[in-house]
Amino acid sequence: MALTTLRTPILGASVLVSFLLLFPVLGLAQSSELESLRATVKGMEQQMQKALERIDQLEKEKATTSARVGQVEKSVQGVQSAPSLFNPAIGMVIDTTAEHRGKAGGNFNLRAAELGLSASVDPYARGYAFINGNNEGVEVEEAAAFTTALPWNLTAKGGRFFGDFGRLPKYHQDALPFVNFPLSIDRMIGGESQADGAELYYLFPTPFFLRATIGGYNKLGAENERIDNTKLRSESQFTYLGRLQSYFDLTDNHSVEIGSSLAYTPSVRIPGDASGGNRTLAGIDLTYRYQPLGSTLYQGLTWGSEFYANSERFPTDDVAKRQRSFGGYSYAELKLNKNWSTGFLVDYAPIIENPRQRTIGYSPFLTWQISEFNRVRFQYSYLNNNFRADKAENGNQFFLQWTTVMGVDTHGFRVR
Amino acid sequence: MKILSRNTNWKIFLSLFFSFWLQTGLVFAQKIRVITTIPDLADITKQIGKDLVDVESLAKGVEFMHAVPIKPSFVPKLNRADLLLLIGLDLEISWLPALLEVASNSRILPGQPGYIDCSVRINVLEPPTRIDRSEGDIHPKGNPHYNLDPVNGKVIAETIAAALSRNSPQYQETFQKNLKAYLAELDRWISRWQEMAAPLKGIKFVPYHLEWSYFAKRYGLEQVGTVEVKPGIEPTPNHLVGLVQKMQQEKAQLVIYGPQSDRFPRQLASQTGAKALKLPDMVGGEPEADTYIKMIDYNIKTMLATVKGS
Repeated sequence: MALTTLRTPILGASVLVSFLLLFPVLGLAQSSELESLRATVKGMEQQMQKALERIDQLEKEKATTSARVGQVEKSVQGVQSAPSLFNPAIGMVIDTTAEHRGKAGGNFNLRAAELGLSASVDPYARGYAFINGNNEGVEVEEAAAFTTALPWNLTAKGGRFFGDFGRLPKYHQDALPFVNFPLSIDRMIGGESQADGAELYYLFPTPFFLRATIGGYNKLGAENERIDNTKLRSESQFTYLGRLQSYFDLTDNHSVEIGSSLAYTPSVRIPGDASGGNRTLAGIDLTYRYQPLGSTLYQGLTWGSEFYANSERFPTDDVAKRQRSFGGYSYAELKLNKNWSTGFLVDYAPIIENPRQRTIGYSPFLTWQISEFNRVRFQYSYLNNNFRADKAENGNQFFLQWTTVMGVDTHGFRVR
Repeated sequence: MKILSRNTNWKIFLSLFFSFWLQTGLVFAQKIRVITTIPDLADITKQIGKDLVDVESLAKGVEFMHAVPIKPSFVPKLNRADLLLLIGLDLEISWLPALLEVASNSRILPGQPGYIDCSVRINVLEPPTRIDRSEGDIHPKGNPHYNLDPVNGKVIAETIAAALSRNSPQYQETFQKNLKAYLAELDRWISRWQEMAAPLKGIKFVPYHLEWSYFAKRYGLEQVGTVEVKPGIEPTPNHLVGLVQKMQQEKAQLVIYGPQSDRFPRQLASQTGAKALKLPDMVGGEPEADTYIKMIDYNIKTMLATVKGS
């Protein structure tokens, strides 16, 4: 008991002493643990930082790799298409009609099997050609080159091409908004404005579109038989052209395009008349378009008109006489939906050798655009002549046209 | 007096003439003149070029980007451009080459430093297995509608920054700084959209045209057909009958269309119980979608609202 009594204060004292002795040790242990924890956290932070850096690096590598994959895919595509890159873009238009022309009867008419080619020649020029085979044979309709890198907004063109006269005379027949060229174009220009020669275009540095053209040709008009395309001639017997063309957006949906053209031939040879005489052919073209931005696929209206004046000497029974003739056409085409459109063409066409004789044509038409490259069109025309005309160019006419495009449509800006 | 008057008239004419030329030439020369084919590229260019660029898009957001009318008013814009930015992959094939033909600007012709095809670094989807017009109006290099995936927006931004830097190396630092800021902003949005669009995963839909493939891949939507028979070819009655059956079998919830007519989407929706949904495929396609980020945001939110509503 005495021992027990004695042990208690000793035990208490020793516990107290131990506590007092150990306290700093405990404190020291806690401090070192804290240090160790700090070191661990710091280590983890560093590891995390390294991991983040690695993730960044991997992401960058991934981006670079996918970019490389993209580039490799592009090169593969490039290599795959390389043979065609060095070949011209090729297109073939087949334009065929079933026709019934007044009392003359009807036929199936392969109007065009038109091969179109287009490609860069080098960094300074592009070339294009249209070779057309039809019921009348095979003809090089166009084969021309134009520059792509002339300074001062200039572009030069040379070869055989459709001269920059008016709007529709530059169209190939298969690209017209109706079946045939208006008779006014046929009679006053000679069909398409085909010309062998050279042109120079200047795009004015204006905020709006304004372009001038000057040209010199053997003759103007694919079917203009009055001038020989093959014989050598003096400078006065070439045809010279000037044209100014502009375009304005009235609003986002409405636009107007205007142009004026003048073709002047200083001297046209007339059989039996040594003095000859000059020829002046002038034209004004005006096109209004309604193209609602949000629904250009389904709606739209085009109203196009051209007026021509021709002044030229023609042989008569006694002497050559100057004849002045005026003609033109106007049409409107309404887009009904994505595939269908309809329109009406009015045409006033004088005989330029005898302007008192004229034909007025009225032609409603309906177009079914099956796809961008496949089109069927029906047109009825009534031709009213004030003279005894050829049976094929008189009275009621019916046309069913089917036009298809294989490959690339190489007609470009002019038939927009 | 008459001579004096004539001289004065000439002076007035000449001063007007020269001031006109100065206006059209020198004033514009201060900034980098950028023309883009679609407004998405114009918006991203503005974010990177800021005040250093004068940028304009040829197409407007409400148009059908494959068939933009070839307006001669585009020609002077292209004529003055230092850079032409395009989507590429033949998206603009039906209208851009014809304009370049008459723009008299060799700087922006294909192959030149000013001709910037933004598809160059894109991982292209849906390259056709058969290149033939019987497959419709296909794009031989693959689907060109990559602008609808915002991650591709980052790639476009990098391509544009690189093009601007190449064109004006003196501003490279500014372009890179602006690019970094824009990419950071896009990244924040992309994370947000990824979370937001989670309910769209597995949603079955029918687009009018193959425009939504990149978007669908990003957010896990499943395409079960198209309104068009083939790209660019309007639907036939037989095609619509087959599509209705397929939509019913697959339980398609959305018919998405853009600048196309709502006639067929509404018809399909009424026959299948799906919702016809008009969405912009370009910046500006809807008034609320007037920037690239807003357009993606609008598309995701509208899609979510429609799915939840159904």
